[in-house]
Amino acid sequence: MNKLYTITFATAIALMTSGCVGGSGSTPDVASLDVQNECNVKTHGVEGVLATAKKYNAIAQSKGLEFRRLGVNNSAYISAVEKALKDGSKTVQLIDVKKKKTKDKFTPEYAVQRSCKFAISALIQGNEAVNTWRLAVPGDGFKY
Amino acid sequence: MLSKIIKSSIIVALASTAMYGSSFNVQAEKDRKALIKYFEDKFADPDKNRNRFFPYSTDDELKNNMPKNVKFEDFAIGNYAWSIQGKEQYDEINEMPPYEDYIDIGEEIYTSSKVLQGCFPDVTIGGDYPYFSDKRGEIVTLGVAINECLTAGKQKPFNMKKGKMAHLQAYMVFQTREAGKKTNIKISSQAASDAYERGKEYYYSQKGYLKLSCASCHVQGAGARVRNENLSQLLGHTTHWPAFRLKWGGKNVNGDGLGTVERRVQGCIKDEGQVPPSVTSNEMKELLYFMTYMSNDLNVDGPDIRK
Repeated sequence: MNKLYTITFATAIALMTSGCVGGSGSTPDVASLDVQNECNVKTHGVEGVLATAKKYNAIAQSKGLEFRRLGVNNSAYISAVEKALKDGSKTVQLIDVKKKKTKDKFTPEYAVQRSCKFAISALIQGNEAVNTWRLAVPGDGFKY
Repeated sequence: MLSKIIKSSIIVALASTAMYGSSFNVQAEKDRKALIKYFEDKFADPDKNRNRFFPYSTDDELKNNMPKNVKFEDFAIGNYAWSIQGKEQYDEINEMPPYEDYIDIGEEIYTSSKVLQGCFPDVTIGGDYPYFSDKRGEIVTLGVAINECLTAGKQKPFNMKKGKMAHLQAYMVFQTREAGKKTNIKISSQAASDAYERGKEYYYSQKGYLKLSCASCHVQGAGARVRNENLSQLLGHTTHWPAFRLKWGGKNVNGDGLGTVERRVQGCIKDEGQVPPSVTSNEMKELLYFMTYMSNDLNVDGPDIRK
């Protein structure tokens, strides 16, 4: 009977702990990621980096952290690379938030690397900000 | 005797409720006072304090364009409080303010709508929004309140960023200004305090591919120059909306440059290199709640002009 209590208690603690980590909105595995390596097209290939970009950008979107550069959302980089791969095109045509084609033309390798770096960096930055934002608050962490 | 006991009990209950209610804004007041002190220190003598606050500004800017001893009340007009040249241009444009016609249009929208008159019998409420609704457990902005009123009255809601929404808000805020009212945001529950804290965290967190927070430009960076524009300060940021931006007016085919604060905040977050939250999201509303609280006690100054 005591064993049953112990197991129940241990399970409850484990569930509560994992629930707390998940519920806090943190992404514990991201901090340890080497962005340069994860997003290296030579090492992982375009398809591999694209999968990484999609995985982390989806998390970034859900947390409201997705990057946008010059009117182009990171998800638009990912979609454009997917389209280029599907069409066998050597250039990626980006579409901005106003549904217009941009003047920039990238290779799929370059575009997918950028989207991967943007996706992971957004999450790393989001994790860092949890501990650093108070440093900018006058009367709190910001000294002048 | 019994009536005396009842009376004193009521007084004690009311007093404790008032004390309890006001205790939820202790941290927010501490933040606001620290922010006021920071900006008053920063703009007390820009030339003398150049190493501390303005390391990249030129002699000309610090000696000739920045006045000394800018005080709390002055910040209600944004960065024109501390830019002599900017204030001259601002005063010139305000001799024939381009937003004037839109106040009249807003008045027409209001007076021709029984639904709006029913929801907002008093239009001098520009300084009271956004507020935290304990019943709903969320922030209500003026734009949200207007659209909910229209929807409840079976009318089509307005675009939250410009057009009729901006015109109507211009009329309401102008009436608030004429009534001499000040920004008056309340934090009267734990849930409201939590919403304020989330808004504060959003404001001070670095975001986007440029890794900037709102504070990078509008607290630490306020007074600095980016190309030919001065960065404005958080204090007084929400007092003058909706605003007629020359940039927006230039892009609009009818020259209507009036826009809401949500539109401007979205633009700012885009400039950080991040997808902005939607205008009715909790993130946006809580951010505005924090920002507006920081401007508490400043005169409502809208509608106004901005570059």
